[in-house]
This record gives sequence, structure tokens and C-alpha cells, in this order.
Amino acid sequence: MRNTMAVARKELIHIFRDRRTLALVILMPLMQVMIYGFAINTDVKHLRTYVYDQDRTYLSRRLLAAFEQSEYFTIVKRSDDAATLYQALDKGKAQVAIVIPPRFTADVLKHKPTAQVQMLIDGTDSTPANVAMNSSQAIVSSFMQQEGLVPVTVSPIDFRPRLWYNPDLKSTYFMLPGLIAMTLFFIVPMITASAIVREKEEGNIEQLLVTPIKPHELILGKILPYIGVGIVIAVSIVVAMYLIFSVPIRGNLVTLFFMTLLYLVVCLGIGLWASTVADNQRQASQIIMFFAMPSVLLSGFIFPRETMPWGVYHLGYLLPMTYFLKIVRGIILKGNGFFDLLDQVIPLVVMAAAVILFSIKRFGKRMD
Amino acid sequence: MPDIAIKADGLTRRFGKFTAVDHISFEIPYGCIFGYLGANGAGKSTTIKMLCGILAPSEGTGMVAGYDINRDTEKIKESIGYVSQKFSLYGDLNVTENLSFYGQIYGLGREQLDKRMEEVLELTGLGKFRTRLASQLSGGMKQKLAIANGILHQPKILFLDEPTSGIDPLSRRAIWALLFKLAGEGTALFITTHYMEEAERCHTIAFISAGRVLKIGKPVEFKQIAPTLEEAFAVLDSQGAANA
Repeated sequence: MRNTMAVARKELIHIFRDRRTLALVILMPLMQVMIYGFAINTDVKHLRTYVYDQDRTYLSRRLLAAFEQSEYFTIVKRSDDAATLYQALDKGKAQVAIVIPPRFTADVLKHKPTAQVQMLIDGTDSTPANVAMNSSQAIVSSFMQQEGLVPVTVSPIDFRPRLWYNPDLKSTYFMLPGLIAMTLFFIVPMITASAIVREKEEGNIEQLLVTPIKPHELILGKILPYIGVGIVIAVSIVVAMYLIFSVPIRGNLVTLFFMTLLYLVVCLGIGLWASTVADNQRQASQIIMFFAMPSVLLSGFIFPRETMPWGVYHLGYLLPMTYFLKIVRGIILKGNGFFDLLDQVIPLVVMAAAVILFSIKRFGKRMD
Repeated sequence: MPDIAIKADGLTRRFGKFTAVDHISFEIPYGCIFGYLGANGAGKSTTIKMLCGILAPSEGTGMVAGYDINRDTEKIKESIGYVSQKFSLYGDLNVTENLSFYGQIYGLGREQLDKRMEEVLELTGLGKFRTRLASQLSGGMKQKLAIANGILHQPKILFLDEPTSGIDPLSRRAIWALLFKLAGEGTALFITTHYMEEAERCHTIAFISAGRVLKIGKPVEFKQIAPTLEEAFAVLDSQGAANA
């Protein structure tokens, strides 16, 4: 224990003396929160819309107003010919174009033939295109009811879908808690592996080997400070997302703390393992990246796993991030407790135990 | 405490088919400076590693500080100091931080550590550089720090693997003065070197080639073979090659 503390103290000096890494550790999580919070916003609103209203009546203006009021569409230009609309779509100036023909109001009132409104959507990016499709249908049908254009009907089924946990479908609610999982997985194994490999690379291990220190004391002492670093990162992300983006934290912070600790053990274990394989810090970081990149893509951090092919979907179960994402999102957004999360906790515990035991075994002290 | 600090008895180490150290035997009493000489790859480092308890011998036995190198390696590590050829302390830690870290590893209590740190800083003349980062010390000072670190826990046996290679003559003199002082106090010093004038200062020299001890004796005994140590080694080496 005394030896472990001596190593941990020494490691803290290393950490505080290496200003560049320290800055990276402190600034990177905050930068990520800013990027994912402000820039990477998958909430599609205010689609740039061009309109060509040939009818120019009270009713056509009301319809366009209904589109604008939904906030999904923002009319950026009212044009006087169709060509402008097509060009704007081609050039990407418009994402949506709405064309109302001259006899719109007349047709609506006569019911014969059915009045027509055309909407053209730029389908190159599927997310805004989907939003435009779905929201426009809803807007038009509620417009018809409001204006009394369709008879009031009584539906035999009163179907009322309600969104729980994230009623406004804000992407920050979804992304920022996940960011804890991703950032820890990128930083913690990397700095742990680097710290251990550095002893090898710079020959320090040669001196340590002839001292009475035992391998587990050395490993534990090297790892402990990085648990602290991981906690600092996690806390700064939680605080930033709460203060800057008002993401509600519905679950218990103590549960979140201990779950994060568990995940950190897995991350440290991966770093430790990488350090037993790599000969230098560059190799160590390459090994970590090899695991980190697929984790980001396959764990459900950005892309929903449900849409993935069977094999890839099941591959996700091998990644610690997959489980921890469910845990953080569960605690923060749903207010899940420990027992709600057992299905995620158990695999993580197994992974933590396996990777730590395996790495310590590999970290033999004898040089032969 | 027995008089013999280090004893090797038929010590052998093979790496696959290659025999790095081949049935080496010697005894080193306390207070002796033992020069272990040989070309690069002759098996010097492998011998040191076995005696320090970090490499298991393939064959043979040895005693260091009264402990068996096959069994009590942890006890041996507590009883010896080690100064490596390549600087292996922490460059981004300063002089006292380095010493304090290793002092703790060797189990020195706070008061004892402070006292010993002052003593070794005084002894090595590093007192003025306490807060300097190890990476910013000169080559000679680095090596003095390594020695200060090696003797911090007052081991009775000190291994030095080419402690003066690449170091300026003045620093080398200072380092040797320090080594003589330690030997005078009863410490056994096991030292490897390439410098012949340093070899001559040792009490006993062992000359090894291709993992075998060709001759052990006082420097004067080597000089009976040829006028200088260098020539004596050349003669021994060619005889050894002829016998093998």
C-alpha cells in the first residue's frame, strides 16, 4: 500500500508537470460538449423554404403561415416563377420548395377537382427530408381541420402517442450524456497506456525492476491517479451539460458516480492491456484508436444499433461503451436506478474483471 | 554477517541455444571493488541481472547478501543498490523528487528519508541542484544522482553497470573517489567498465569473454601476463578462443 501510494504520488507529479497533456485532458471534454451541444444538432428545424404562391389569396397565405408557425419551415424567399425554385433546390439554397397553383382557393371551395399543393424536398440528406415529409403531412391535415375544410369525424380509436423522457426530441439530451461514455473511452485508456509504456520507453522500468516493488503495487499506483483524471472528465461533462444545455439529470448522482467508476475500471484495463502489447507510446495510442473508432460507430453513440445488420448489431455487445451508454442515458434521462440497469451492469463487471486480471497476468515482472 | 557479499557458483544462462553466461564462479567479499570486464555481448549485463534477482539462471546458484538468487529474489532487491548504464530515473522529476520516490519504495520512513537524502546529496555534491529536473542535469550529475539513488537505502552491495561511460574525466574522478569511499565503509561494489585505467583501480578483476571467466585476479596479476591490462586481455582472449 505504501509503495502504491508512492507511485501514485509520483504519477501525479508527472501529470501536473506535463502541461500539454493536462490541458488536453481538461479542455477536450469541454470542447466536445460545446461541439456536440451547439454544432452537431440533429434536431431539424427551420428548413430553408422557397415558395411560389400563384394563388395569392387569404387561404393560400394562411396555409403558408401554418407552415411557418410549425417552426419546421422558414420561408426565405417568395418567388414569382418556378425556375427560381428549381435552381434554388439545385444549388442547395432551398431545402424545400412549395408551389401553390393559381386556382388553389377556387378548387378548395368547389371541392372539384381536388385542390393541389406541391412540395419539393431536397432528399440528399435523409434526416431533414424525412422531417419535411412527416411534418408537412401533419401541418396540412391540421390546417384542413382548422379551416373547416373537412367534416369533423369521430374516430373509433383515440390514439395518442406520447414521447417520454425527451418530449421535444432534443438531440442534446441524447448526445451529451453519451459524450461521457465516448470521451472517457478515448482519453482514459490512452493516457493510462502512455503512462505505463513511458516507463518502459524511457528505461525507468530497468531501475524499478531491481527495487522491492511488486508488479501489482506498481500497476495500482500508476492507475489510481488516472481514475481521478477520469472522474474529473466525467464531472466536467455532467456539469457543463447541466449548466449550459439544461439537460435534466433525473437519476441518482451517486449511482451515476459508481457506474462511471465501473466503466473507468474497464477503460483503465484496456489501457493497461494496450501497454503490455505496445513497445512505445505511439503504438499504444494506435492500439487504443483501433478499439475506440468502432466503439463510437457501433455502440449506439450516434447511429441507432437497431438499424444495423444482425452481425454488426451483435458485435456491439462486445463493446463496453454499448452498455455504459445505456447506463448513462438511463440514469440521466430516465432516472433509472441500479436495479433497472442490471442487464448492463453485469456485462461491464465481467469485462472489468476479465481485462484487469488478464492484463496483470501479462504484466510480468521478470524480464525473461 | 558473512564476509562474502556476492558468490556465484556455476552460474549459467541460456537464451534458446545461445549461452550468454557459461558456468561462471567467483566470490566477492565486502569492501571489495570487483571489476567485471569484457567486450560488449560478453555476458556482463546478463550476469548482473541474475545476481540482482531479475533474471532466473538456467543453471547454477549464487548468493547475494546471504540470499539465494534462485529463491530469495525479493530479499536480494531490498539489500542491493543498482546504478544502470542508461540513466533510468525520471527526467521530469527533480532531484529530491526522484530520491524521495525511490526512498519510499525502499521503505524509508519520512525522517530517515530526509536524513539520508541530505547525506547522499552532500556525498555526491548535488546539494545545489535539489530542485533541478533530472533531465536538465549534465551527464556527470545524472550519474551522481543515479549513484545517490543507489545508495540511499544504505545497501551493503552496489551494482554499477558502466557507471562512467560517456562522462567527462573530472566527473569520473569524482565518481571514483565516491566509490572508494563506499568500499572503505565496507560496501561491496560490482562494477563493469570499458576503461582500462578504471579497471586498474579495482581490487579484483574478472575478465570474461563469450560468457566464460578467463581469469580472476588482482590487476598486478594480469600485468604479469603482459605490460598493460589491455594487452593482457588480448592474450587471454586469444588463449580462450584457442581452448574453446
